[in-house]
Amino acid sequence: MLSYFSKYWFDFVWVMTLKEIKARYKRVFLGFIWAILNPIFQMLAIGFIFQFFIPVKIDNYFYFLFAGLLPWNFFSYTFSKCTPLMLNERSLIQKAKFPREALVLSIVFSNLFHFLISLFLFTVLTIFVGYLSLFKLFILFLAILWLVFFTIGISFLLSTLFVRYRDIKFIVQAIIPLWFYATPIIYTRALLPEWVATILKFNPMTGIIELFQFVFISGNSIINLEAVVPGILISLTIVLIGIYLFKRDNQYFDDWL
Amino acid sequence: MKKNQKKLAIKIKNVTKTYVLRHEKPTLIESLLYRPKKGIHTALKDISFSVYEGERLGIIGSNGSGKTTLLKLIAGITKQQKGDIKVNGRVVSLIDLSAGFHPDLTGEENIFLNGLVIGMTRREIEEKKQSIIDFADIGKFIDAPLYTYSGGMELRLGFAIAVHSNPDVLLVDEGFAVGDENFREKAHKKILEFKRQKKTLVMVSHWISELERNCNKFLWLERGEIVKFGGKEVLKKY
Repeated sequence: MLSYFSKYWFDFVWVMTLKEIKARYKRVFLGFIWAILNPIFQMLAIGFIFQFFIPVKIDNYFYFLFAGLLPWNFFSYTFSKCTPLMLNERSLIQKAKFPREALVLSIVFSNLFHFLISLFLFTVLTIFVGYLSLFKLFILFLAILWLVFFTIGISFLLSTLFVRYRDIKFIVQAIIPLWFYATPIIYTRALLPEWVATILKFNPMTGIIELFQFVFISGNSIINLEAVVPGILISLTIVLIGIYLFKRDNQYFDDWL
Repeated sequence: MKKNQKKLAIKIKNVTKTYVLRHEKPTLIESLLYRPKKGIHTALKDISFSVYEGERLGIIGSNGSGKTTLLKLIAGITKQQKGDIKVNGRVVSLIDLSAGFHPDLTGEENIFLNGLVIGMTRREIEEKKQSIIDFADIGKFIDAPLYTYSGGMELRLGFAIAVHSNPDVLLVDEGFAVGDENFREKAHKKILEFKRQKKTLVMVSHWISELERNCNKFLWLERGEIVKFGGKEVLKKY
């Protein structure tokens, strides 16, 4: 079992990830700057509009937005790109036998690379503006781990289902904005009626985003775990289903492409 | 009994491969609402045969007889529903040579990508890089992105990577030797070299004369079943 993850396997995932990173900016002026500019523009747009609507009781609203938008963007870009992945890479799949999971992992890791750059800059900023303790950095590390784990699971699940059911792509496109508003990114759960706040606990992204907000927003010194426990259980279920289906089906992908 | 010290290269045992027929693409919504009726097409039916190291197998049969499916199974691109397939050593297929290149990456970056896809390690590719570039004869284009290549150059690069991967079993689909006269000759020489090195070859073709020249074992498939398997006498019956 362990021998499956050979040096070749790691090399393969590594080269595929590099390919993703390189190909993305190959013919784009300013290259990496876009990875940082994107969330900044998004933050400015949302922040500008929503401060008129929501009776925002959140200090430093723009700053608060950024803490949630960064992980959300990584998550939503990754799984929406992974959904039609097997169809986009059919020429590779029909060429040879190779570890197919590398296709999904290379998308996750290349997006993770961009996410970590932005996150690093944001962290440096926070050190100057707010305060970051070692404990918070440790929580940040755990939050990233959980986020990556969940993103991998859902990407395996959706890319596998898409091979057979092509309408998954449209379902995903419809769900992304809904999921965005069902996650406390532009608001906090404290602003919601009790029963809505309770339902949102079962969205794994709630727990993840709240951990990020805990890390970056000074003033929060008490960590709120009530969305973390159900979130971890639900992510674990989705990850296991995703990996199981991918393992069962990936050798038959060619039959459906 | 064929047991005179020969090593098995490919062993196919009771292999059945089926495809689900779809007149329209299924959707998740439909599948959840009701069970769409599925037709099953059997591409290969309970096939068994063995190929020994150094043998060169030619597969014949009319269209839709399962030849390409059989190649795909040996290459591991897809998997059988029933039975066992064992292949010893590295299999490389010359089925779709320009597949798997990324148009925005350079020739060199694509050599690494494609090499890994067909099973080479990074060190191996590093060692053979120059020789691949020379064989493909793409010169200074090696640092240019692939979308600037002509069709012929892409094909040559694909072929060069495949033959430099040092395969134990080489799979050749019909019409692989496309391109100009010069390259066709080069490709043919390489096949002859494999022949001399006593590598295992599996070849699919409609051209009896091409198979007769290159192969010494023959498999005749019809509607997913073996009609005949053996030496030259198979061709005479065909």
